[in-house]
Amino acid sequence: MRELLDELKKKIVTELELMDIRPEDIKDDEAFFQGGLGLASIDLLFLVAVLDNDYGVLIDNKELGEKVFINLTTLAEYIMQNRKR
Amino acid sequence: MTSKPWLKNYEPGVPAHIKYPPITIPQLLLDTKERHPQYIATTFNDTDITYGELNAKVNGMAHALKSLGVKKGTHCVLFLPNTPTYVIAYYAVLKIGAVVVNINVGIQGEELVDSLKTSEAKVIISLDVFIQNVYRVIQNTSIGIVIIHSVFGLEKKMKFEGVPTPLIFNDLVAAHPTHEPDWECRPDDPAVLQFTSGSTGRPKAAILTHQTIVANIIQTVEWVNISETGNDAVLCIIPFFHVFGMNACLNLSVYKGYRMILIPHFAWLDLIPLLTIIKKYKPISLPAVPSLWTALLMSPRATKELFLPLLVPVSGGAPLPARIHGQYEELTGRKIYEAYGLSEASSAALFAPYPKGAPPGSIGVPLPDTEARIVDFDTGTKELAPGEVGELTIRGPQIMQGYYGNEALTREVLRDGWLYTGDLARMDDEGFFYLVDRKDDLIITSGFNVYPSIVEGVLVRHPVVKEAAVVGAPDRIRGQAVKAYVVLETDQKADKEDILAFCRDCLPDFKVPRTIHFVDQIPRNPIGKPLRKSLRPEGENQGG
Repeated sequence: MRELLDELKKKIVTELELMDIRPEDIKDDEAFFQGGLGLASIDLLFLVAVLDNDYGVLIDNKELGEKVFINLTTLAEYIMQNRKR
Repeated sequence: MTSKPWLKNYEPGVPAHIKYPPITIPQLLLDTKERHPQYIATTFNDTDITYGELNAKVNGMAHALKSLGVKKGTHCVLFLPNTPTYVIAYYAVLKIGAVVVNINVGIQGEELVDSLKTSEAKVIISLDVFIQNVYRVIQNTSIGIVIIHSVFGLEKKMKFEGVPTPLIFNDLVAAHPTHEPDWECRPDDPAVLQFTSGSTGRPKAAILTHQTIVANIIQTVEWVNISETGNDAVLCIIPFFHVFGMNACLNLSVYKGYRMILIPHFAWLDLIPLLTIIKKYKPISLPAVPSLWTALLMSPRATKELFLPLLVPVSGGAPLPARIHGQYEELTGRKIYEAYGLSEASSAALFAPYPKGAPPGSIGVPLPDTEARIVDFDTGTKELAPGEVGELTIRGPQIMQGYYGNEALTREVLRDGWLYTGDLARMDDEGFFYLVDRKDDLIITSGFNVYPSIVEGVLVRHPVVKEAAVVGAPDRIRGQAVKAYVVLETDQKADKEDILAFCRDCLPDFKVPRTIHFVDQIPRNPIGKPLRKSLRPEGENQGG
């Protein structure tokens, strides 16, 4: 789990080009949206693509997205349970 | 202007001149309803409304507005995302000769007050999810009628003392007749006040008439000549409150009898089902901003088959990176067509020739009856030769009347019929145009305009901030990201999160700085204006 969390932090910083944020700056329970990292819907579309590409995890509806994209921990837990690669 | 080299790039069948019918915008709806009453007009959360039903609801709302005292010329704010409510309200307001005021649902606080005051609107139509933002400022405005579409019943939990009680949109529609109201609009009447951020920090509203908007729809339809199967779908993600969405998605769809797949796109979860929606509805047209194309193409599910029905993929709002053009063409064998437009031009002014496309980096060529020229920065009167960089100016039937209540600014940007866009551009020998930069410091992020002065004005209101300067930094996803440089008051500690939280309370998400840098001083010119260009990272521009 720890390894996945750290991997996700790196991917988020790299793929979303979060300037001036280092992976280690992101807390495991930091909210993705509505404050926290302050991501927007277009960022989410990128994250959805990253999960699909890198882990074979598909998130294609709002209800699931609402449960998974709360913070890094909820995301990592969902990947652990559903990853295909 | 001595020559129009772009005309040789017009596709066969595209006219250089068009005879525009003297009609109003609601006539587009009535004509389509007469021809195809059973065609689906809107699909929202899997619920369909046909053109026959849509027109009946529009009529109900038009009668309701009249009964509330709304008259020809009354300004009515649509503070709505892409929902059937927007579509119904838009045509209802226009049918009775009133004027639509388009305001971005993301704005709040002072910016919302400024926009409402500038527009002198008497009516606002919104959703209950925005009701708190509306009522927080309403007492400082001339709004006397509030109409909401109630999704969650949030209005039932509020008290309305000393402010107008909200009326319920669906109740009003249901309580009024569905026959045509007396139309009071004429082609040369103002139809829409289209808000766009002001470079001086104050909002400005472009006056678009029925005629200018209809002209732009017809120009676009003549330009993109495709064979249709009837009631084809258009994916409407670009907000209708943005001029690109209002014309390329809404009005054009209604004119052609397309099925509008409505995506409200104001909450962070809205785009998740996007690929599923594309697969399900097979849209023939998808107008989008570059960041959306970039995100879509990143998905492993973005296949050739998925995009096969998509005959008109369009990008606007900011330059589309060449690598995204290349990626799409490699995947599908087709092009994404770039358009250049602005609120002051009813939407599109230049467009990549369809279907052959434009050279990489080009924003296309002027639409029929549209002229574009590059002039010198200093006087704006000397036309420059191909290859030289100057200010892009445009003339055509789609250009606005002026800015509402702002004659000085109107005189500044409209000179001898030419619209001075503030964009720096060049034209090649073939008549293709290329954006180079902005004359001012406008930031375009995910297709939305952000004027630095607005963000700076918020930042300096934070108690620990002494000075601020805001610039656009290159961003692969958004094109540009908002970057703030901040000087703190003496002995104050830097708390980035606190400053960002303050910004989020005052600004829509897209204007909140992506990053904040703390610096000792802001470079300024002799009269104290921040030298933003010296803060912008190397190589930063808007394309070209």
